[in-house]
Amino acid sequence: MTKPQYRQRSIVQREELSDSYFILWIWDEDMGAMCKPGQFYEIRALAVFEDAPTSVSIPRLFKPISIYDNQGGRIGFMIKRVGLGTNALSKLKAGDTLELIGPAGNGFPIFRDRKILLISGGAGYPPFWYLQKQLIGHNKVYWIHGGASQGDIFPCDEMWTEDGSIGRKGRACDDLEKTLKEREIDLIYSCGPFGLLKEASRISEIYDIEHYCSLEAYMACGIGVCHGCTVPIGSKENWDYLRVCKEGPVFSAKEIRWEIM
Amino acid sequence: MKHKQNATELLKTSLGVLKMKTPISVASGTFDLETLEFYDQNCLGAFVCKTITREPKKGNTPPRLYETEAGLINSIGLQNPGLDMFIKENLPRYRDVLAVPLIVSFSGSSIDEFCRMLEILEAQDGISGYEINISCPNVENEGIAFGTQADVVHKLVSRLKPITKRELCIKLSPNVTDIAQIAKAAEDGGATSLALINSLYGMAIDYETGMSRVKMGVGGYTGIGIKPVALALTYKTAQAVSIPIVAMGGIYDWKDALEFIWAGASAIALGTAHFVNPLAAPEVMMGLGEYILGKGLSIKDIRGACRFS
Repeated sequence: MTKPQYRQRSIVQREELSDSYFILWIWDEDMGAMCKPGQFYEIRALAVFEDAPTSVSIPRLFKPISIYDNQGGRIGFMIKRVGLGTNALSKLKAGDTLELIGPAGNGFPIFRDRKILLISGGAGYPPFWYLQKQLIGHNKVYWIHGGASQGDIFPCDEMWTEDGSIGRKGRACDDLEKTLKEREIDLIYSCGPFGLLKEASRISEIYDIEHYCSLEAYMACGIGVCHGCTVPIGSKENWDYLRVCKEGPVFSAKEIRWEIM
Repeated sequence: MKHKQNATELLKTSLGVLKMKTPISVASGTFDLETLEFYDQNCLGAFVCKTITREPKKGNTPPRLYETEAGLINSIGLQNPGLDMFIKENLPRYRDVLAVPLIVSFSGSSIDEFCRMLEILEAQDGISGYEINISCPNVENEGIAFGTQADVVHKLVSRLKPITKRELCIKLSPNVTDIAQIAKAAEDGGATSLALINSLYGMAIDYETGMSRVKMGVGGYTGIGIKPVALALTYKTAQAVSIPIVAMGGIYDWKDALEFIWAGASAIALGTAHFVNPLAAPEVMMGLGEYILGKGLSIKDIRGACRFS
């Protein structure tokens, strides 16, 4: 596996998706050749800190952002504004510079000739855009995506919103069992809020369906050094804290010890 | 004192036993071979590994991190593979990859265990020195339990000293009443150098929900916010002892590094800085190099020479 590298790259394009989501595009063929779906970069806005007055120039940590798309080196990061770091990223425009560390993490295992369900919630959407491009054509793929409201919803096969503003009213996993049966799903990928992943894992275990979760965690280094982002992985009797940034972010759902998270 | 030498000469420094090509070291647990993928390791004067314990440690229950307004709270809990696995897997990799001196950081749960670990490590090649971690705020029975009482520190170091001729650096906690007293006890016990400061105690709470940001509640506070505290403790310690000090605590750039050297440090270590600037170490070396060349001063000239008038 490629070791994470440090780069500075200009933003070639900025795309506005909704009130809270935007995409930053960079261009680097080498990086494009290195990365795969499910991996992420630690990214940070370089320009913001150089331009900022002293009073607000305390440098912040990099933020782990999964790869949304990779078109032969045209790499997109679809980002949701949530805190100070992502707000700083949201102020960037074409021509500004991003600092990047990556590609980091293991990525999704890729299969063929399977009946696949993608289930995502909120900011869990982006890595699936890159993933489904590699799955479609070799597999049957059905994608359920849910969010709080219309602004959290992006192209997929089945939409859910908690406020009912678009698609079905409720949460992405509300009708999951029915979908699994009707579509004879034999492989699940999930990414999104803890509650969604835990519920999807509970159901996939009941039906004994292979299931990979992409987990999120607070990170400092992003390269496996600090052990800050760990999650309990293994069997009920024998588990260890593994690093989301290095051994993850993708783990087999049945190995995630949800009961102690 | 004016020098006509090049920066390479002027940047040299030394601990008690160990010669360092640059005064830049790394804080245990914030840096590993992965970081060295980003640049040439020769900007470092020493490499300190993540603290190991006799038995493997799972580490603390997550969440383990929270980024505050100024610096980071961590609650890792010394997660590590244990001494045997370290010797079997990590040490050979360090021997292969490192071109700079390796300092092995370790911690024990009794004086006997510290001694036994040191004996085992003494039998290994490729180790230039030890950092005795008696100051981790995130574990109960190791770490800080040994670092807060001068008589215990003296006893521990006196027992360790006869076992090794390698660098014996004692890592001190800021979470004590009088760091100078602890430092003196380590020096009297036979320490060849001191490393300070380890993390301060720190805590953060979500004001809305009342939920502690890290699972264990109180963690270790590091990074930019602790710099003035670390600088003061470095100065106080340097006044009290004559053995060299590796200073750390919120050093982010070469100007911060210089402050600590003026205060009395022979070398500095970068920690949380690596997380906000992956190129911190080479940038500090460049900055220090330019400064000392410009002034015609060596690290040794600057060390402890801070002025009050």
